[in-house]
Amino acid sequence: MTLVTIETSTSAAAVQPFPSRVAPLARRDARTEPRLVRGIIITLALTFLTVFVVLPLALVFLEAFSKGVGFYLKALADPEALAAIWLTLVTAAISVSLNLVFGVAAAWAIAKFEFRGKTLLITLIDLPFSVSPVISGLVFVLLFGAQGFFGPWLMAHGIHVLFALPAIVLATAFVTFPFVARELIPLMQEQGSQEEEAAISLGASGWRTFLLVTLPNVKWGLLYGVLLCNARAMGEFGAVSVVSGHIRGETNTMPLLVEILYNEYQLVGAFAIASLLAFLALVTLIVKTILEGHLDEGQPASDD
Amino acid sequence: MKDSPQVTIEVRNIVKQFGAFRALDNVDLKVANGELLALLGPSGSGKTTLLRIIAGLDWPDAGEVSFDGENALARGAGERHVGFVFQHYALFRHMTVFENVAFGLRVQPRAVRKDEAAIRARVKELLDLVQLDWLAGRYPSQLSGGQRQRIALARALAIEPRILLLDEPFGALDAKVRKELRQWLRSLHEEINVTSIFVTHDQEEALEVANRVVVMDKGRIEQIGTPGDVYDNPATAFVHSFIGESIILPVDVSEGHVKLGSRVLNVDANGASGPSKLFVRRHDMHVGPVGEGAFDGTVRRVRSFGPIQRADIALNGDGDTLVEIDAPRDRNLTAGDIVSLQPRRYRIFAGRD
Repeated sequence: MTLVTIETSTSAAAVQPFPSRVAPLARRDARTEPRLVRGIIITLALTFLTVFVVLPLALVFLEAFSKGVGFYLKALADPEALAAIWLTLVTAAISVSLNLVFGVAAAWAIAKFEFRGKTLLITLIDLPFSVSPVISGLVFVLLFGAQGFFGPWLMAHGIHVLFALPAIVLATAFVTFPFVARELIPLMQEQGSQEEEAAISLGASGWRTFLLVTLPNVKWGLLYGVLLCNARAMGEFGAVSVVSGHIRGETNTMPLLVEILYNEYQLVGAFAIASLLAFLALVTLIVKTILEGHLDEGQPASDD
Repeated sequence: MKDSPQVTIEVRNIVKQFGAFRALDNVDLKVANGELLALLGPSGSGKTTLLRIIAGLDWPDAGEVSFDGENALARGAGERHVGFVFQHYALFRHMTVFENVAFGLRVQPRAVRKDEAAIRARVKELLDLVQLDWLAGRYPSQLSGGQRQRIALARALAIEPRILLLDEPFGALDAKVRKELRQWLRSLHEEINVTSIFVTHDQEEALEVANRVVVMDKGRIEQIGTPGDVYDNPATAFVHSFIGESIILPVDVSEGHVKLGSRVLNVDANGASGPSKLFVRRHDMHVGPVGEGAFDGTVRRVRSFGPIQRADIALNGDGDTLVEIDAPRDRNLTAGDIVSLQPRRYRIFAGRD
């Protein structure tokens, strides 16, 4: 029997001098779809992206430049526009710094220590994500408004919170709080505290351990969190709209000004400001992609 | 480095509780200067907790720790001058090997910190000591497990520690590397001669490397002794079963007679009474002609490896009990033989738990 089998297979090989020719049929992978299906799916995705993402973005720039570069620059040089840009930058700078400190502190506490109420803290960090921004704004009105909790006392002492920079910063910081903390917590939890323990047993102080060991280990995650936090801070509309009071040239941030100009049919002005925000989004996307590369490496080997 | 200061470590009545779990229960331990001591025990025995308390990484709920008579608990981990080697190395991942080793020197207070040239020389010296000077520019992720462990050791030695503590130093390495590093640690200790404690759950590692072995279980110290001591004269039933392989038979002792089931065995009670356990090392069970030993049995299966042959023997009159014994190769055993067994050395410990 065995002999016969060998005979057959030998003769079969002899008949087919190029057995590799038949291979493509057998090689069809179970996971690959027919070309047509692949083509349809890819076209669908690309069409959707073009219509809903690329086209609107392009239109923003087209509309902004519709009456020429001169008009565009003039719209941006308008005192109201400049004030809005300045206010947005200041608000983002302050609220991102605040969230940098709070986020690192919260992530540090959650990742490195065991304490009562830890689960509650983790849940609370997510609160700004789950609450509508309008509610977040209203909370500050309830706290600092004329009939609010601290309002009368603050007003008696001549401190203006609502309809001024402080409330805008507070509302922005509240809405963007989770970005830094959310990014850092899993990273720090995964890294554990052994490196910190090693540093401390080698004689480093708590502060130096933080600066030399903890911070470098999370720097890419931290930058990533700050980037997202910043993008949201500059683009925040709902919460800021409730607390700003829309005082022209004073308490309008860029997103608020875009709405106002648009409602007043100043399309070039509205889209000029909008183009800045869109540009910010594009820069954010590019930087985000670069940072994600570093995060995936895990080990910044190209460092120093 | 020959004249490193040698420190005596004393631990008294240490208690450490994690919630309802008592990790350490009144532990006393004295480690002589220049010793290489192993803390050996199963996981959860408290050995790592004890090590971390000595290092200052954990704090005891009660008790004292002193180095050369000086209260160590009054100092933080960074002020104890203890070199600690972590099980998973805990190398600083964003620093090169060189910077890892230099870390302890760079963070010293300005007043005592060495200048850059001295730091470089010291790091070079340490990398030579662990024979990895050629890796100075690499990052930890580019090293093998064994290399990481040696760098972790070099980093711990950089601060000229008074005491060296190693937590499961070879636990995460494969068997072959583990064996090499064992020898290497042994000779390194002879060279630097710093009082050292290492934690392990691997008895072979403890018995081979350490001067003395501390056997721990459930937060208590079961026995302290030389490797020979803990193997030949186990103090408790736990030590006997944990170290080396033993035949364990449930026996009853009354009026000096040791009974296995209904059969009276021809062995001394060793002062035990009531339900007890009889411990015999496999190679201490002598196989003889029927009727000449403490019990008779039927050989079920024999396999040979190396210098010994191992046989499963079912005890007669007690068909369920199967004992595994080691006999010399020249003792002719085949399945079906009826033989007698006589323990040459054995221990009886009261209690059956």
